[in-house]
Amino acid sequence: MGLIGWVLFGGVFQSEPLPFDTTEVSVISTEAFEALLTTGPQPDMATDVALPLAPEVDPDPVQTPTSDETVTTDAPVVAPEPDTEIAPTAPEIPTPPVPEVVDVAPEAPQPQDLAALAPEIAPVPVPRPSERVAPEAVAPPPPDAAPDPVEQEAVTADEGAQTPAEEQQATAPEEAATEIVTEAEEPARAPRTSPRPPSQRPSPPTQTAQTPAPSAQPVPADTSNAVNDALREALAGGEAEIPAGPPLSAGEKDALRVAVSSCWNVGSLSSDALQTTVVVAFDMSRDGRPVGSSMRMVSSSGGSTAGANQAYEAARRAIIRCTGDGYQLPIEKYGQWKEIEITFNPERMRIK
Amino acid sequence: MMVRVLCVLLMFMGVAPVLAQNGPLRIEITEGVIEPLPFAVPDLVAETPASVQMGQQIARVIAADLTGTGLFRELPASAHISRVTDFGAPVQYADWKAINAQALVTGAVNVQGDQVVVKFRLYDVFAGTELGDGLQFVGTVDGWRRIAHKVADAVYSRITGEGGYFDSRVVYVSETGSKAERRKRLAIMDYDGANVQYLTGSEAIVLAPRFSANGDRVLYTSYETGFPRIYVLDVGSVQRRVLESQEGTMSFAPRFAPNGRTVVYSLSQNGNTDIYSMDIATSQAQRLTNAPSIETAPSFSPDGSQIVFESDRSGSQQLYVMSASGGEARRISFGDGRYGTPVWSPRGDLIAFTKQSKGRFHIGVMRVDGSEERLLTASFLDEGPTWSPNGRVIMFARETQGAAGRTSLYSVDITGRNLRPVRTPEGGSDPSWGPLQP
Repeated sequence: MGLIGWVLFGGVFQSEPLPFDTTEVSVISTEAFEALLTTGPQPDMATDVALPLAPEVDPDPVQTPTSDETVTTDAPVVAPEPDTEIAPTAPEIPTPPVPEVVDVAPEAPQPQDLAALAPEIAPVPVPRPSERVAPEAVAPPPPDAAPDPVEQEAVTADEGAQTPAEEQQATAPEEAATEIVTEAEEPARAPRTSPRPPSQRPSPPTQTAQTPAPSAQPVPADTSNAVNDALREALAGGEAEIPAGPPLSAGEKDALRVAVSSCWNVGSLSSDALQTTVVVAFDMSRDGRPVGSSMRMVSSSGGSTAGANQAYEAARRAIIRCTGDGYQLPIEKYGQWKEIEITFNPERMRIK
Repeated sequence: MMVRVLCVLLMFMGVAPVLAQNGPLRIEITEGVIEPLPFAVPDLVAETPASVQMGQQIARVIAADLTGTGLFRELPASAHISRVTDFGAPVQYADWKAINAQALVTGAVNVQGDQVVVKFRLYDVFAGTELGDGLQFVGTVDGWRRIAHKVADAVYSRITGEGGYFDSRVVYVSETGSKAERRKRLAIMDYDGANVQYLTGSEAIVLAPRFSANGDRVLYTSYETGFPRIYVLDVGSVQRRVLESQEGTMSFAPRFAPNGRTVVYSLSQNGNTDIYSMDIATSQAQRLTNAPSIETAPSFSPDGSQIVFESDRSGSQQLYVMSASGGEARRISFGDGRYGTPVWSPRGDLIAFTKQSKGRFHIGVMRVDGSEERLLTASFLDEGPTWSPNGRVIMFARETQGAAGRTSLYSVDITGRNLRPVRTPEGGSDPSWGPLQP
């Protein structure tokens, strides 16, 4: 106990007082303090309130707030809320940058550019079905036009005209497709790949060049006769009156070829006849008409005799039927087309 | 040498053009047109007062036959300039040329009692000649349509060079009622849908009638006993008998061999279907295929040496050809989709088939080696092709979509042109085209 008392009271745990700051104040009375409050300067409210930070405004004009919009900002940090309501000053909103105006308008895509792309997505054209199949597709003719290979407009008599025009009916070629279109091949259901085997382009039609012959007749063994014949034909006699002229031009031959082919109807031929190529020979009169009695089949190949006969009948019909007022051949070259041989080769028509 | 010198001299003298031509002008034509050939068939000249109506009717049937092929186009009577009042009078070709008639059929009819005599001539108008000789047919009044068909066959044959098909008959399944309650019976008709006669009742389901080569009998499948069994029906007497088959088997899809003595068919046993042949007289059967897959729908080549059939042995339904005595088969169809019901053309050059591809059905043809496949039709459901006697036309059944869908017969040219319905009193399916009648 004595030890404890010595520790507590004997000064063993004595400590130094802690140092601290002191401020001298003046003591005033209550009245003096009240007086200070009433006469002292008012708090500077406006300046004391920290201005809200300006919001980050997107330069996009579309998002620029208008004067009616409420700008939402973080509440300003104000320690004591003032007693009076003070409207915060509207934050200054930076003006969005004005885009640089260029006098020249940007170029709009040109329509032709789109058109140029169109073929890539356009459907593959498929021939329309038609009752007639011809080398060239033909659109439906006008309803009042009579079918005819030659297209011509209608001519009606004009009462007021001084020279009365000869009336004629409007004509137009019949509607045609270039190949047979089956129900399975119609455009709406056209298969992506053709079931038809690829056809080889045929070689161009062979034409016998009409080269001027060195003599009008084959050279006989007896040269004296040849001389006499040549002289007789060249200087006098009926055949010498036939104007031969230069060979027919390619265009003139094509015209004849097109005229006959437009009447060469193989639609009713048997498959055997469609395998048969026939050569038909005939004489022509000066007015461009074939002489019917001269028509004959020179040769045939590829099919049976019956097929050849059918093919010949169709060829003969074509030659006669498309004669019209006579084939348009130059009379001054009559000697060149007085005799004609036409080879009818249906090879390309088999796969129509 | 002397001649050459002289020719040179003549050329310089200006007479060369006269000598320029040596031989005819030669050109080659490789492109023509395909269009119906215009023809005229005035009413047949009535040789007796009782023949007037008959003359009109026969002319109409001839015109309908020819026009129905798609190869001919009739010029109506209203367009005719000439009137044919005398069968023996000369033809005024100029009048027929003027209306662009390329072929002219004239005829005369004489009805006396129950007998009718029909004469006809065919002219190539632009050639100004008669095509072939005149012909005369004699028949009964009741059979006047057959006479008209025979005239049309002769005209068709003379112009096209191939046999006709108008005087022929078709056996098919006549169908009535909705899809859920469909009643079927065998019927036989003229190729154009006229003169329909029923061969069976509608008590049991009947399927796939098939004419014999000479048209005297019909094979068909019936479910009379609850299982499919094959029957042979005599067309003349309408008598029938069942082909012998083992207990517990199902036989179906029969077809005559060209010789008329043998039948090929499918037989299903223990879940496997193979093709068998049977001698009708002896009932001796021979197994032609032996595979775990389904082999069915056999059809003979015209010479009877080969059989085309369908099989799924490759995993999908395809067409195969094998010898008529069986053995190894070679596949001939390789396109997308499933192939079935193959039928060999009477000409022997093509095989018609049904194809299912991309949700649609097609009737198509291909060469017997499978090349040159060509689809002729496309619809919700086309199936069961059969050939005309001349191998130029295919008849088939088309079913329209929906519960009220109707099944009817159609025909189409092998070029894919001239798709047209065949008018029947009721619905029709499974047609089998018979031969030209004697």
